Amino acid sequence: MATAEMIKTIAQAPDKEYYLPGHRTCAGCGPALAYRLIAKASGKNTIFVGPTGCMYVANTSYACGPWAVPWTHAQITNAGAVGSGIAEAFKMMIKKGKIKDEYPNIICMAGDGGSIDIGLQAASAMMYRGHDVLFVMYDNESYANTGIQTSPMTPYGAATMFTPPGPEIPEAKKFFPKDPMAIFCGGGHPAVKYGATASIAYPVDLMNKVRKGLAQEGPAFLHVQCPCPKGWTFPANRTVEIGRLAVETGMWFMYELEDGVKKWSILPKQLKPVEEYLQTQGRFAHLKPEHVAKLQAWVNARVQTLGLEVPLPPAR
Amino acid sequence: MSKTYKQVPFAAIVPSPTVSNEHMVTGNWRYLRPVVDKGQCTQCKTCWIFCPDACVDFSKDEGVDFNLKYCKGCGVCSSVCPVGAISRVPELDFDE
Amino acid sequence: MPIKKRGTGLTAVADAWQLADIDVTASYPIRPYTAVMAEVAKRIANGLMKCEMVHGEGEHAQFSIAHGASMAGARATTGSSGVGVAYAFETYSPIAGGRCPIQALIADRTLDPPGDFGSEHTECLNLRDNGWIYGWAENAQESLDNSLMFFRIGEDPDIMLPQIVAMDGYFVSHIAQDYEMPDQEQVDKFLPPFKPQFRLDVNNPVIMGPQIEPEMGPPLEWDRNVVMDRVKEKIVAVTEEFGKIFGRKYAPFVEEYMTDDADMVFLLQGAHAVTCRSAIRYLRQAGYKVGMCRLRWFRPFPDTALKAILPKFKVVGVVDTNTSYGAAGGSGVLLVETRASVSEVPGKPLIQGFTSGLGGETITHEEFFKMAEMMKMTLEAGRIIQDAVWVNFNDYLPAVSEVQAAEQQVAQTKE
Ligand SMILES: Cc1ncc(C[n+]2csc(CCOP(=O)(O)OP(=O)(O)O)c2C)c(N)n1
Ligand code: SF4
Ligand code: SF4
Ligand code: SF4
Ligand SMILES: [Mg+2]
Repeated sequence: MATAEMIKTIAQAPDKEYYLPGHRTCAGCGPALAYRLIAKASGKNTIFVGPTGCMYVANTSYACGPWAVPWTHAQITNAGAVGSGIAEAFKMMIKKGKIKDEYPNIICMAGDGGSIDIGLQAASAMMYRGHDVLFVMYDNESYANTGIQTSPMTPYGAATMFTPPGPEIPEAKKFFPKDPMAIFCGGGHPAVKYGATASIAYPVDLMNKVRKGLAQEGPAFLHVQCPCPKGWTFPANRTVEIGRLAVETGMWFMYELEDGVKKWSILPKQLKPVEEYLQTQGRFAHLKPEHVAKLQAWVNARVQTLGLEVPLPPAR
Repeated sequence: MSKTYKQVPFAAIVPSPTVSNEHMVTGNWRYLRPVVDKGQCTQCKTCWIFCPDACVDFSKDEGVDFNLKYCKGCGVCSSVCPVGAISRVPELDFDE
Repeated sequence: MPIKKRGTGLTAVADAWQLADIDVTASYPIRPYTAVMAEVAKRIANGLMKCEMVHGEGEHAQFSIAHGASMAGARATTGSSGVGVAYAFETYSPIAGGRCPIQALIADRTLDPPGDFGSEHTECLNLRDNGWIYGWAENAQESLDNSLMFFRIGEDPDIMLPQIVAMDGYFVSHIAQDYEMPDQEQVDKFLPPFKPQFRLDVNNPVIMGPQIEPEMGPPLEWDRNVVMDRVKEKIVAVTEEFGKIFGRKYAPFVEEYMTDDADMVFLLQGAHAVTCRSAIRYLRQAGYKVGMCRLRWFRPFPDTALKAILPKFKVVGVVDTNTSYGAAGGSGVLLVETRASVSEVPGKPLIQGFTSGLGGETITHEEFFKMAEMMKMTLEAGRIIQDAVWVNFNDYLPAVSEVQAAEQQVAQTKE
């Protein structure tokens, strides 16, 4: 395993951009910020695989794109498989001497739908087979590009186009989200030696996790929470603030799993009540106290599952 | 009547841009322009790292500057500045 | 020196892939195509082939893996059968539209239901509208030769399209036959290394498959359409060159058998041609002036060749070994395409549709005889007597109608 060169401060982050100005993602788009930071961390020797989703459509419409490195489209279903094919092609062509290239960083940049729902099979198989690919799940907690519909990552209680609140279903979305880290890095995919959660609100941490994932020989997984002003209904300037608040309230946890060992990247001393987070976003505007309590109970249970020792707000 | 179509490259494969993507200029989305008070700015680069559109230009000599050709005016830079050095000024207040 | 071998259509294609020095192949098990992957796996394990075999988690993944490999600049293959071909459907247009000349081997198989292992062309014909080039081989030798010719045509810088080496499941894929494996030197002369103009290369970065402007959509599809036409010219040139180098001369589009003085012909593709030829020899002895036209290509469909050939005959019996429920003419896909090919040609023949050889059944001599008899009746009547004939089900032979009437009577008296 190569050692990753770590970035210590914002000032140390590389100046060079590989995700350039000129894309029609919404103003304040969290996934766009993730793309920029990931591209910055991975550098020139990188190939991106971009399955259908906001980060395909909003970046490439009009026969162009903002990447200074090679990028290819994949279907929303098959980022993992296309990435696998690219990886093995490079390995074999280099081995046979057909090309002189250095083995590139291959990064699949898939949405939550393209990672954990319709793209799950291909992602899982890529990780099972052990291809040298970094799979990034940029999580905006919905099928955003089709107009914000519920996905397995949409939080309990969020309104989406397919989960509108109404007298019969007052809490809107009824299910609790999947746990991608448990699915991909919880021991079910033994070839995955490195997995981490990250957030656009913590850019240095995110960039370092990208580098660690890439330094890993074989597959690595990164689950990046990316607030989406349009889908979560908040003003565009609050993207980073809401990302931080998610961590402060336990709606998002920041940790790494390296060889099965959990390491907390951010250990909150105390969790703020989840209500503080919910208040910032229109998608939760309809929630009644009993729903908020249910969500708080879910956060509290997650804290215990993850083994985090922190005082908990009461789940009324 | 003949309709005009646009030339499309082989398999729609296009060269990657190097500095910015000229085909999607987004500066005209902006209705609030970020303006930095260089006197207040501590050059911490927080605004620079958080711009989703890579529109905060930074140099040691010049400090913070904005790429107004692409800046969407989202205000993220202003919100993250620890010292409140970036204000958001309505576009209509500017002449050009 | 070429080697005389005994093997199947699948080992023959494995030979072609070995000779073509493929870099990546993607597997998933389904009968009958599976054996080619087993063969390639063995050759990789024994060091005979230097190729990465990626075990896909399904056919959708297989085609996606090959697609990714091709974009990276590798010569990549895959394959499938039956429901597997259907499962990969989403990937066909992006691969062709991305102009990635991967090669797939499809040993065809009936779709479910009936859960049948046998050959049928339906599943492979289902993907006909995506821009893949393909045709059926009738034996192991032709499978090997097609594989090499298809690589050469598909990877041509003027073409850049994915290909399917199609073969009848079991009849071609599994029956042991004699064939010749060409010499590496011959192949190297015929098939240059794959060097695409664009690949995923960090030193020459490109964006592949971006969304386009609405005014670019139709031109992009027009390109795929135009190149399909260009394929026809390449087929002629490459088939000719193949003959010169390897000594096996194929008709570029349509093989004609005993058509010189024929007033009626069977038109079909694939391995049923073997039985058809021998049935024709009997029919000739019995005085039927019958011949055969075998299509070597299905996409592009050889309409120009058929326009030239078919007006020589009075009746053409199109034998569809596929289903297209509700299609014009009530038979299969070949009937529709054949009729469309010659619809505007003066002196065009009567074109009769037959459905036969479904679910892996061989088309027996008797069935070819029946079809010949029906074609003769049509010829004498000078008009189509009955469309949509499923052989053995609604034949319009007088003898058959008599038997059916008798059966009905028996059934009625029992009630
Ligand atoms: C097979 C298939 N089904 C449906 C779609 C429609 N579709 C396009 S983008 C999209 C949303 C993708 O969601 P996600 O992966 O979470 O990415 P996001 O748009 O949220 O960034 C969907 C469902 C598609 N492109 N392909
Ligand atoms: S909908 Fe959300 S993810 Fe999509 S471009 Fe807008 S902000 Fe970004
Ligand atoms: S307003 Fe938004 S787009 Fe403009 S510079 Fe600030 S963060 Fe970037
Ligand atoms: S965040 Fe504020 S203080 Fe820091 S560089 Fe930007 S403007 Fe200056
Ligand atoms: Mg999403």
